[in-house]
Formats: sequence, structure tokens, C-alpha cells
Amino acid sequence: MEFGTQTIQALLSGYQKKEFKPSDVIGAYLENISARDKKLNSFLQVRAEETMAKAKVLDGKLGEAVNLPLFGIPVAVKDNFLVEGWQATAGSKVLSGYVSPYTATSVKKLEEMGAVIVGKVNCDEFAMGSSNENSAYGPVRNPWDLERVPGGSSGGSSAAVAAGLAAVSLGTDTGGSIRQPASLCGLVGLKPSYGRVSRYGIVAYASSLDQVGPFSRTVWDSARVMEVMSGFDNRDATTSKRPVPRYTEELKSNSKRTFTLGISRSWLEGVDSDVAKSFEAALEAFKKLGGKIVEIDLPHTKYSLSTYYLIAPSEASSNLARYDGVHYGYRTQNAKSSEELYSRSRGEGIGREVKLRIMLGTYALSAGYYDAFYLKANQVRKKIQEDFEKAFTQCDFVATPTSPSTAFKLGEKTDDPLKMYLSDIFTLPVNLAGLPGLSIPCGLDSKNLPIGLQLIGKPFGESDLFAAAHSYEQIRGEFPLPSIAKGKG
Amino acid sequence: MLSRDEVLKIAKLARLTLTEDEIAFYQKQLTRVLGHIQDLNQVPTSNEAFVQHVPLDAEPFREDKAEPFTNHEGLMGNAPAVENNCFLLPTIVEHS
Repeated sequence: MEFGTQTIQALLSGYQKKEFKPSDVIGAYLENISARDKKLNSFLQVRAEETMAKAKVLDGKLGEAVNLPLFGIPVAVKDNFLVEGWQATAGSKVLSGYVSPYTATSVKKLEEMGAVIVGKVNCDEFAMGSSNENSAYGPVRNPWDLERVPGGSSGGSSAAVAAGLAAVSLGTDTGGSIRQPASLCGLVGLKPSYGRVSRYGIVAYASSLDQVGPFSRTVWDSARVMEVMSGFDNRDATTSKRPVPRYTEELKSNSKRTFTLGISRSWLEGVDSDVAKSFEAALEAFKKLGGKIVEIDLPHTKYSLSTYYLIAPSEASSNLARYDGVHYGYRTQNAKSSEELYSRSRGEGIGREVKLRIMLGTYALSAGYYDAFYLKANQVRKKIQEDFEKAFTQCDFVATPTSPSTAFKLGEKTDDPLKMYLSDIFTLPVNLAGLPGLSIPCGLDSKNLPIGLQLIGKPFGESDLFAAAHSYEQIRGEFPLPSIAKGKG
Repeated sequence: MLSRDEVLKIAKLARLTLTEDEIAFYQKQLTRVLGHIQDLNQVPTSNEAFVQHVPLDAEPFREDKAEPFTNHEGLMGNAPAVENNCFLLPTIVEHS
């Protein structure tokens, strides 16, 4: 039997019926990685022997443990998560060779429920980027077109699932780093509400914005991962104590509900024509489901880019101060003073875009500029949050395309930071407001590249998001796969 | 345009050694991004509206109980240099 294109739901059902066992599945995914990933560069570390040993242990539990919610599911994990015994480079030379001494809470929860980690996957350095071209370990290529980017920063996470190298993957999303690559690779990607999933064991980028979330083929699969992974963690003081719904159960009970979608026409200006067409078609589909479309006003979302590029770099400049060459990570060989030890280790070890953001943040927080930049950005952030609060009195979700364009060519946007940053105009405000956002494939453009629809929900409204996206998924029908996922190309 | 000295000052604060090429590169890039960010000045804001973003129902307080972390080997294994189970730093003689 061929593996690579199955959903979690299909794999679980196969295990239940004893059609195959975990070592068959995990072995097949590991073979897919070794056969296909030379073209993609999505995996940074695979430990085939250890992984197969774990799968064989699960083979012996096919009787008792088969009801675990993620029994025998192959998962790829972004390389900014710590998994004990595995490397965690976060795509940076600074953390080259770093071996995690403990495991992130999110990953631990998945493993406890039967999931098997098949590898650590590539990403933009410290999760800063929208194309995966900022990785110190080379760019990842888009499974739909190898000349194009998979999106970023979780580009390895999206390429791996799209190409059939994992059934599901984990990423982090600080300004769109799950939803944008999910959109560019034809997958479902969720950025949960701020506080829904523990960040313990994640390499921090911007702590008031970072969230952990899944990439999957279907909405049900995303719901399944989220019901396992969400919840309070004593080791992350920003996690919420709200109970975690049984998202997959609620999908069933919510299946007949209809929703009102809010759209802000002025925000949608400048979107590529194929993306705009596909977005309008998705809105029509929601109407057919009995949904309503209303016009809303989000007057401050146009300032999201500026707000984000002050707040995120400010937090990053503080979070990344720890890479000083003393306790772990890259150390320069040319230090004549302690000052030089820090500055040269950082200067030599940290990549181009990350240095830019550290300096932006340092500037914004420096004496004389704090009020004009950091304080101002936080005030505008509040206004963006209020825009959404007001919008949600008129609608259940705000709908946008996930990305203004489909996958672009490698090198196309690397010269101008602003051009790259604009890839995230629809995703940035969602992090600024702490809301959940889900990207679901809604079409292909004239070049056969996937287009994504983003639904933005109320705080902790993941269950409703899943319900709406699931209903849409039913009338959309099965989404096509890139040929590489079927073992071709 | 940000001056060369301004870039060097930021780099010093950020503890980043830059090459000559990088200084010129970041002069342009920082100027480009900071130029765009000026659009925030169009938004009227009141001074008191500063919000630190944390979800309302998070409870940051808990009992201050130490939990032992036992994987010392795992921690020390990542050190650039170790001697007698201590982090080893290069010998540096500095004049104040």
C-alpha cells in the first residue's frame, strides 16, 4: 500500500481495522522523505533507526493503544521546537549542532497520544521570513513548483505535508508563518488564539505574538491535533485555563450551523486577480451553505505592517539577546575582550534578516525613540484589536484571502524587505489582536498554484472556525495534490 | 537616510559586529523600513492607551515551587567549551 496522501482520519481508521501497522506507515513516510526530499530540502534532521524503533513499539500496542487520538501518526516538527535528543537550530547557524535537553509541551502531548516524530523541518532563521529563504540551511522548494517558495517561516512544515513526507506537521505563527505557507502549499493551517497552546520549549521570537499550530490536509485533522495539543501549561504563564473543547466532536454537532462572514473591501485592494476571483467564489460557496456576507470596516488594519515591524523586532531584540556565545550555540574564535566575544559571536552567527530585525528593535527601544516607536505601535495595536471587536458585533468571522498572491519565485522578493513583508498583510493583524485564524485551500490559479481563504475568528473561537471551514470543505470537494505527493515529478 | 554612525551605534547597542558591506547594506534597509513605519504618525492615539497584550483569563501567578531539572549532561553537552563540568570561556585580560 502507498502512503503519503492519507489524512489522519484515514490512517486511524486503517489501524482500527488492522489493515496496516505503525511500522508500515512510518517506514513508508521515511522512504518518501529519502526519495523526495532531495528536491525540496524540507527536512533538517531525520533519525530513521530511532523512529522505526518507536514505530515497532507501537506495533506491539495495536490492540490496547489503537484508540489513542494520534496513534501511529507521522508528524514533522519545525526546527524551532525542542524535542529531547533532536537538534533544534531554528534555521540558524547560531544553533548549529544544538541538541535539545528537553521536549516542548506541545510535542510531548502529541507523543503521549501516539504520534511519531519523523523529523525536524526547515524554517526561516528564528521564524523570521515569508519564503523560507532566510534559513541558514538553504531554501525549501514548493512541492507544487520547485522554482517557487513554499512560504514562510514554517516552509519546511508546509512542504513536508504537501509532498506526502508527513501526515501532519507543527509550525509557529508570529505574523502569518503557519497560514501563509499553508496557503501557498494547498493545506489547512491554523494559528490558534493567543494563550490556547503552550509555547514551552519553543525558540522565542516575539512573545506577545508567537503561537504554535498545525498544518494538515483537512479541517478534521487540524481539529484532532488541536484537541490533543491545546490547554493550560504550568510552564507557560500565558496559557489559558479555559477548558479545551473536543473539537472533532463539535465538528459533528456544529455541521448544520450557518455563519455570517464580514469582509472589508478596502483592505482587499491590490490582491492578484486569480486570488480575488477564487476568494469571491469561496464567499459564494458560503452563501450556498446558508451563510451571509456583510461589509465591515477595519480602518486600522492598514497600519498592521508598521505596527508589527516595531513590536515583533522589539521583542526579538530582547529574546535573541541570549545568543551570546557563552553557554550554548556558536562562539567566535576571534575574541580579545568579553565585548568582542558577544558581538563577534552574534555578528558571525546570526543571518542577514535576523540582524535587520534585531537592529530595528534595538532602535525602537533605544533612549529617545521609545515613545515615538514602541509606545506608538502598542497604541495602534489596541486600535486594531478594537476594530476586530467592533466587527465581531456584525459577523462571526472576518474573511480574507490568506495571501495577496500565490507562491512566488525564489529570489523574487529577497532584495526589498518591504516587498517580502507585504506577503503577510492579511495575517499580521490577526496576531496583533491575539485572534485565531485558519487558512483553507479554496482554489488554484492559472499556474496551477494553490490559493488560500483565511477565516479570522473571535478569541478562543476555534470550534466555530473548524465548523465553518469543515462545511466549506464539504462543498468544495477534495483538494488536488501536487504530483510529487503521488510519487511523481 | 540613516547615517553610518547611527547604524554603528545601533549595532553596538545590539552587540552585533558588522562588516563594511553590512554597514552600507543596513543603512539602506533600516532607512527603508523606518521610512515606511512613519505612517503610524497618521493615527491619532491617546497616551494612556498602552496595552500589554496578555489574554484576560491567563493566571501568571503560581506557587513558587522549584522543580528539579536532571538532564545536566544534555545542558552541558551544548556548551561551546566545558572543563570540570563548568562552562569554559576564553582567557580575556581587559583594562578598565
